[in-house]
Amino acid sequence: MSDDGGLWLLAAGPVGATALYWALYRYYRNTDKSHGFEHETKVEAKPVTGAESDTKVDTIEGTQQTRIDGDNVGAYRARVQRITDESS
Amino acid sequence: MSDFKTPPPLPPVTGPGSPQDVPPLPGSLPIDPATLPDAIREELEAPDPVAIDTAAAELSDGLNRCPKCGSTDIRHKLGTDLLVCLYCRNEWDGARVEELFGFGEGIDQLKGTVIASGARDIAADAAVLMTFKCTGCGAEVTVNTESAMTARCHWCRHVFGVNEQVANGAVPDAVLPFHIKKDDAVARIRQFVDKRRLFALKEFKEQFTPENVVGVYLPYMIVDGNASADVAGKGEIKTREYTRGTDNNKKTYYDADVYQLQRHVDFTVDDLPLESSTERGNLDVRVNTNNIINTILPFDTKNAVKWNASYLSGFTSEKRNSNVEHLHPRLEDQLLSIARAQVQASVRRYDRGVRWEQEKLDVHGTRWVSMYLPVWLYSYHQPGAKGGMLHYIAVNGRTGETMGSVPVQQWKLLLAALTVGTILETIAIAILAGSS
Repeated sequence: MSDDGGLWLLAAGPVGATALYWALYRYYRNTDKSHGFEHETKVEAKPVTGAESDTKVDTIEGTQQTRIDGDNVGAYRARVQRITDESS
Repeated sequence: MSDFKTPPPLPPVTGPGSPQDVPPLPGSLPIDPATLPDAIREELEAPDPVAIDTAAAELSDGLNRCPKCGSTDIRHKLGTDLLVCLYCRNEWDGARVEELFGFGEGIDQLKGTVIASGARDIAADAAVLMTFKCTGCGAEVTVNTESAMTARCHWCRHVFGVNEQVANGAVPDAVLPFHIKKDDAVARIRQFVDKRRLFALKEFKEQFTPENVVGVYLPYMIVDGNASADVAGKGEIKTREYTRGTDNNKKTYYDADVYQLQRHVDFTVDDLPLESSTERGNLDVRVNTNNIINTILPFDTKNAVKWNASYLSGFTSEKRNSNVEHLHPRLEDQLLSIARAQVQASVRRYDRGVRWEQEKLDVHGTRWVSMYLPVWLYSYHQPGAKGGMLHYIAVNGRTGETMGSVPVQQWKLLLAALTVGTILETIAIAILAGSS
């Protein structure tokens, strides 16, 4: 056992209860479901360009985070700052 | 007095803008476009955005006649795309719009906004009720386009269908006929609910009658698009992983290189469906369950046939109330999401993930086609605050994909969660007690 004497085990009850509640609620209500248009629509794309100009801008040492801060590579629907080209 | 000033002369009473000015003829320009700057002239001289006329002139009197015997008692033969005459049993096929109007072609060449005639802006003063004068007996037959597209003359039994495209937006360019039969839809809904009985609301279970399912044609805009997108952000690659601290307090640390990334992708999308009813297009799961209907997308829209109200005989329908302009923001949002999905594979080497910070979309061209898509809908109204909640169980009328929202009995669900929580807690305490 670690220093805290395994007190984290006491969280098992509340965590388990909440997880079960949400899992069942979602199974019944399906509030998280929607049409996956990103993959279910017929998309024809030319090869993605820009990889050749990736530049190293910084190094990070000794972080405990396993992923980049604000990782949104898989969150396709989370919009970020939109750049509009007014001149065109 | 000598300092009396004469007033300036009055402007002439003729000329542009004066009460005597004769308004230009419809379709003509009051000024010569050749005298205008290039950019304005190009816009003025650009062709009308309605580029594809899908209106069925042969049906303009509201009567769809059997090509063999001339009867108007025509129905859709379920499970097929055929129409059948109930009088002489003649069967014939609707023309597929994909080939008829070339909807699948030239997406990469699309420029500007191309709108098929059924997707045009709805007339602001359009009425829901449309009246036809029966050519058989002279009676007036009214069709409520809010929920139906056909009606029968109660005197001579002619069947009338609404086929006039522009007026109120109820007539789309194309329709995708039902393939899944009612019995099949009922079975699928029953199966869906049977798996979710334990915690379902008691009243819902008592009133559950899947036979009450209704076939509804829901309005969609089917959009083809030609676009380019750029995204920029930061990505991290892990260079080192190590642990520090003693046995009891070990912690893992990472070193990483940070890269500035930029990606560009040119792409086309074929048949992206957008809800063109404002009510159905509201996908806020806190206030409705429209996401259920959205989930059963996509449909095999390539098989849609040219508009003919006879396909809707016996089914209800919902009217479109969104124009192309209203749907543009949603289209751009979905195109950006598609672009983000497309570039994901090009950043796989960034094993600590990527944070996209900026995105840009250039829509070069779009083509909009208004279409009715077939959905079997079972609904249950759960009473509650703010009018309660309408739960849907929807079956895709082509593929049979089923999705639904079943109201839950909150106390049962809470009791189950608390029971499991208590058991887990008891086990945890037992382990702790045993180890101390």
